[in-house]
Formats: sequence, C-alpha cells, structure tokens
Amino acid sequence: MLHSVKISREACQGCVNCIKVCPVEAIRVVDGEISIMGELCIDCGECLRSCHRQALGIEEDDWNRIKESSRVTLIPDPVFFSQFSHYNDPAQLVDVLQSLDFNLLIDELEEAFDLCSYASAQMISRTPASQLPLISSYCPSVLRLIQSRFPELLPRVVHVCSPLELAADLWRMRTNTTAPVTLLAPCSSKITMKREPQGREQSPIEQAVTVRRVARSIMASNVSPAPSHTPRERNGRWVQWARRGGEAKHIQAFSDKKLTMLAVSGMRNTLDVLQELELGRLRSVDFIECRICDTGCVGGIGTADSRFLANLRLNNMKTNWEITPKDLRRVEGLYAMDFWMVTKEFSPRPRLPLSDNVADAMVKLQQMKEIYSGLPHIDCGSCGRPSCQAMAEEIVRGHGSVTDCIFKLREGISSLANKIVTLSESQPQTLKRRGGSN
Amino acid sequence: MGAPVCLEYRIEGNDFMVAGAASNNIKNTLKMLGIASDICRRVAIITYESEINLVIHAGGGILQAIISEDHVDLVAKDEGPGIPDISKAMIEGYSTATEEAREMGFGAGMGLPNIKRNCDEFDIESTIGKGTTLKCVVYFPQN
Repeated sequence: MLHSVKISREACQGCVNCIKVCPVEAIRVVDGEISIMGELCIDCGECLRSCHRQALGIEEDDWNRIKESSRVTLIPDPVFFSQFSHYNDPAQLVDVLQSLDFNLLIDELEEAFDLCSYASAQMISRTPASQLPLISSYCPSVLRLIQSRFPELLPRVVHVCSPLELAADLWRMRTNTTAPVTLLAPCSSKITMKREPQGREQSPIEQAVTVRRVARSIMASNVSPAPSHTPRERNGRWVQWARRGGEAKHIQAFSDKKLTMLAVSGMRNTLDVLQELELGRLRSVDFIECRICDTGCVGGIGTADSRFLANLRLNNMKTNWEITPKDLRRVEGLYAMDFWMVTKEFSPRPRLPLSDNVADAMVKLQQMKEIYSGLPHIDCGSCGRPSCQAMAEEIVRGHGSVTDCIFKLREGISSLANKIVTLSESQPQTLKRRGGSN
Repeated sequence: MGAPVCLEYRIEGNDFMVAGAASNNIKNTLKMLGIASDICRRVAIITYESEINLVIHAGGGILQAIISEDHVDLVAKDEGPGIPDISKAMIEGYSTATEEAREMGFGAGMGLPNIKRNCDEFDIESTIGKGTTLKCVVYFPQN
C-alpha cells in the first residue's frame, strides 16, 4: 500500500503527538523509530498537522525540476483558485499561468466536473429508494476510510472516477499526446490517488505536487495579468468543489428533481455520518458528500492560504449554476462515451483479525482482555502505541511485551526492589546467633 | 471449543449522547475475531436499537453479548415499566416514546421490527412493572 506521508527519522523526537491524533491508530513508535502501518493509514494528514518538528511531510514530486521542462501540463485542484488574494477571477489566474508558459487543462476540468456531477445525478435517479443514499467518491481518504472501517457501505459509493483524472483522460483522448500531466493537489490524500489509484488500473496523472508549493512559486514570480485582455467567461461551478457542499450543489444543478443531500466535512463528522448510515438511520437522504478535511478541500494540509479566507473568496466568486442546453448536450455526449466509470471495483480493506481461525482468535481475545485489565487505562502513549487497548492487541499479536508500559515496568522494578530488600535482610545460618535475637 | 467471550455493558437511562458506544464496541470485537462484515453490521444494528430502547423506554439496563465460535447471543435486560402489548410493539411505526425522545429523533417505532429483521432467533419477555428481557441469536455462516 503506497502512501504520501514522508517521515524524517532525524527530526522525529518521539513526542507521540502524531500517535494520539491518528484517527485510524496507524502510527507506532517502536525502538525510538516512528513507523506508519500501511494497511491502516488513510492519508488524511492529521499526523502532519500535529507534528511541530517537521518530522512528517508530504511526499511530492520536485516542482523545481518539473517547471524547468518546456510547456508543463497542469491539472489544478479547484482549491488552487482560492489561494490568491490578488487574482480574484479564475480566468485571470489562467491567463497568468499561461503567460508563465504552463498549459492549464481548464476546459477539460470544466467538462470533467460537469460530467462527474451529471453521472452522479443519473446514478441517484436510477437507484431504488431503499438503496439510497449514495456516497461521493471524490475524497480519496473518505474512500479509504470506507474500505477499511465501513466495507458494507462500499456498494453505495458512486462508481465515478475522480474528475481530476477524467480531465487528464479527456485531454489525452483529444490531443493524443503522451506528455506528462502534473496534478496540483491540496492534500497528501490526492497525491496518493495518483500513486495508488482506486477504481482504475493506472492513473493518467504522472506527477503530483502540492498547491502550496506551486502557489508560492507563482506569488514569488510577481506576474500581473494583462490589463487589456478580457478573459473568457467561465461558469466556475467546478471551482466550488473546494468548499463543503460544492459537489452537492453541482449534482443538484444536473438533477431533474430536488435532492436531499448531506454535506459533511472534518474527520469527526465524517466518521459520525458513516456510522449513522451503517446503522441504517439515514433514511430519506439521497446523497452524502464527505470530506475528511475541515471546511472541505480548502482545509487540505497542502494548501497555501488560510482555509477561512479561501472559503470566503470562493463564496464571493461569481458562479453560474444554470445549465445551458449547450452544456447539457456536451455532457450527455461525454456520458455516452462511458470512460468516466470506474473499471476496478472499490475493494474492502478490512483490518486483519487476531487469527484466521475464530476459536484461536477467541483465545487471543481473552488474553487481550486480561492484559488490558492490568494496564493503567490512561492512554499516555509512552509505550509508542495510541492506547492501552492498542498495546494489549499488539502484545497478543506478538509485537511487544507488557514491560513496554512504563507503569508496568515500574511495578516490576518495585517488586524486584522489595525482593532485594527481603533477601538482604536474611542471613546465612552460621551467622544467625551473632545477629542478637536468636 | 474455546470459552465464549462475554461482553457486558451497563446502559444508563435517558443518556442519549452516549448511546451507540456499546454497540460499536461489540462490532469491533467481532471484527477482531474475523467475523464477516455483514454479520457484524447486523449485530451492530440489533445492539444499537436495543441500546436506544434501554435509553428511551426502560430507564437503563444491561446489554450483553456472548460470543461463541458459531454464533452470538445478545441479551438486553431491564427493570423498566415493561411492554403492555408486545404484538403492537412489533408493528412498524408504533411507538410509546416520550415527546423528548421523539424530539431527539428517536422513537420512530422502528426499533423492535428492525431487531427482528436482523437476527436469526428472537425472543422477548415482558412483565408490566417488572421489566423486559430481549434475547437474540445471530449465527455465523461457516465458510
């Protein structure tokens, strides 16, 4: 399992901050070395936010090398257009990037996001009411969370490829070129989407860098848009996907009837809504849009500007939600081509049980309960695991011993010390009379 | 045949905020044992609905899950007011929940029918003024 969280072992001081915030309990510090359990990690980036020593970073491609090559083709995430205070209009920013000799796939992105929304709206209208709500597949971390924690919900995930990848597909189809495409990603999770694609064999995107890196490099280049030139009018619908609720609104624009949709963002909200859905308590909802980052993709770990400001800018941006007959014809044409659908099922990634055999696993579970009852239950993290429960589980799985717990270790030392005192007070038989009492 | 794993939770009455913790715990335990995920989901629904019932109707009680190799026994026991007419309580949409519970989004009268739908064996005993005991069994299919 590939991921995009990079560990710098020299910088890590073993402070266990990251261990405590990881929502899937995937981080351990064993023998003084931090490690991430690949099968559990969902690339949400929470550990990156908690690390004050820059020991954790995002694994991205080298932007300085990429920008040196001629006519770089870029796929910017919608978030990219919210990062600049002085380019208020996406079309203006497109001009700036073009003047820097970057090829921005903006037309393809506009079409791909429209196509995605249309396909999702079609899927919702064809699904029987009992199998609703469907869940968005846009946030790769949410998808991974569903695969590992809520595998029963996988059939509800819309089987539509990421619009970012579809834009690259569209461009390749039209131009027939093999030049590499670079994704400007707002988070570690979307970089992982390129490295380990879900729902398709291979990603059409070759390189990925963070929005932060590129936005700062453009700000540093000090290019101002040409004043005389009037940029092409754009609908800007897709840029709103950077905010919570943007996707839901876009889908609504393509739907014939009024849809009931939930849009939630942030780890806790996402976990709660998925749990409620799993328990069958979300009846009469048609669609759920989940984003792992607070306030949506603008809150991504790889963004350059404040998520609140970015949100505000997007809110002030002119957006045309009206679907013209021309838009509709174009999107119907693309829809008929069928390339937007996932070609590989989203497979469950359940956590490994304690043993392959239920009877054996039950014995281990009993052992785990016994070990756990002896631990202090304060989840201090000193043992390098996120909780006493996780520690008990690791011991049973054969990774670690009870003395990894600092309190158990002290108990052991104390009882040993008591034994030493007792031993030191006992005298050899031959000397006992000199001791006085006997 | 190993000894069954017994999980027991005390559920407090009228505490809506924590309802769901026990069922989540039971589900995670089953996953650790390698039980198929659709079985885990069914057990989670049964235990969650029972938990909610204990919270809104019974003023609290005990929720037990006894996991054996091929099945799980689920017991929800309370000393609440009891159910006057069980056959009526089994009808979808019929509920005696308080206004407060309904305001919280609970008490839609789906609990017991939902439990019955998701378990393999279902038994409910209730005495007015003494309490209710709900027993369910879910079998694990052999793979």
